[in-house]
Amino acid sequence: MTTSGKKKADIILIAALLLAALLFLLFQLFSRQSGAVVKVSVGGEVVKELSLSRNQRYEIGGVNGGFNTLVIENGQAWIEDADCPDALCVHMGKISFEGQSIVCLPHQVVVTVEGSSSESSLDAVAK
Amino acid sequence: MKRFLTVLFIVISLVPSVFAQGRTETVFTQEIFAMDTYMSVKCYGKEAEEAAMAAVREIQRLDSLLSTGKETSEVSRVNSSGSAVLTGDMKELMELSLMAYEKTSGAFDATIFPLMELWGFSSKEFRVPGKEEIEETLKKTGSDKLSYDSESGKLVLGESQRLDFGGIAKGYTSMKLKEVFSSFDIDGAIVSLGGNVQTYGAKPDGSPWRCGIQDPFSSSGQSVIAAIEADNLAVITSGSYERFFTGEDGKTYHHIIDPSTGYPAESDLVSVTIVSKNGAEADALSTACFVMGKEKAVKLWQDSGREYEMILITKDGTLHITGGLKDSFQTNSKFEIIY
Ligand SMILES: [Zn+2]
Repeated sequence: MTTSGKKKADIILIAALLLAALLFLLFQLFSRQSGAVVKVSVGGEVVKELSLSRNQRYEIGGVNGGFNTLVIENGQAWIEDADCPDALCVHMGKISFEGQSIVCLPHQVVVTVEGSSSESSLDAVAK
Repeated sequence: MKRFLTVLFIVISLVPSVFAQGRTETVFTQEIFAMDTYMSVKCYGKEAEEAAMAAVREIQRLDSLLSTGKETSEVSRVNSSGSAVLTGDMKELMELSLMAYEKTSGAFDATIFPLMELWGFSSKEFRVPGKEEIEETLKKTGSDKLSYDSESGKLVLGESQRLDFGGIAKGYTSMKLKEVFSSFDIDGAIVSLGGNVQTYGAKPDGSPWRCGIQDPFSSSGQSVIAAIEADNLAVITSGSYERFFTGEDGKTYHHIIDPSTGYPAESDLVSVTIVSKNGAEADALSTACFVMGKEKAVKLWQDSGREYEMILITKDGTLHITGGLKDSFQTNSKFEIIY
């Protein structure tokens, strides 16, 4: 192998490495952005999936004709208002991490954060 | 050239691992409202959907068998007639309940339903009963007042006694779900039955299942106080924060009734988590240990051969964790290991 041949091989090698690094970075970036989703289900059926990174409001129709107002703001989701008898869902606070959820038993409404997988995420919470 | 080949090899071997992150494992989740709570079943693997659907059917089957709210349930029928010959699940639950009653010296009792009703925990119309009412009701409770023959399954309830497997039903269900899962081609599953967690098999990425323990001091209930790794285990927590009300006297009354006094258990604990292969036992023990308090709970654990693990959280915020969990838990709170 000549000196120039060696150089050429080195360049290809570096280019290949850079490409691989770029691919890896892009993938990481992509998978992070597609992350957290707020899943809304009523009576066990998923009715809506909303991005946690977009500020928005969504009116959930519960099983008994009631409503729960879901608010997503600055990466947090919560039930701002509801006409269920116990209003426990309103007091369940704000959720933002994968696996966290808000449940309204009377309306059979469940709001869950999904897909923002990270090392520290939990599969379930015993309560 | 050799170096080139080496690097090329590294690059090529990197590519699939990059894409592997995006590969989706067959996962199927089912949510269901049963046993007066919210439940979720998540299965991974080839027959994930079939397994999750079968799990839901099993939950519904047990719910209609055990519900005290449905007049047609097996439990309601036994309660209205006062006696029955128990078979199948009912027999198994009766025996598990009596075992737990013995083991915990009555701190777990499947006959305390009249007390739960008196305090309004079953109807959600809470009230603080008078002393006489409680004493009167205590006459109807106590598994020592019923007679049961395990040979024939014959049960005779005492005067106005009523059975309620609510304190063991979810743990029992999670045990039954393991059996359901084993008949399907799935890699793993995780179930939460109103916060009673059961893991089965392996997680798709090979890492252990991670289960959080709810922070009993958080008012919204959205934060965890600890996390543990739990493979093929039931993780069941009981705490005074779960259900409570404030009486007219301004005092807070929680739902874990001490079967010996008829009043909410006054213990030094705010939450008890039991980690066990046996879901039904974990369910019964989590309530019983709360009633018993830290000292007696630890003694029971030592006397029973340390066959399960516990996380006891005392009122001062300290976590008391049994030795078997010491390498698999994480917490930012103050803790001590018990042996
Ligand atoms: Zn609600």
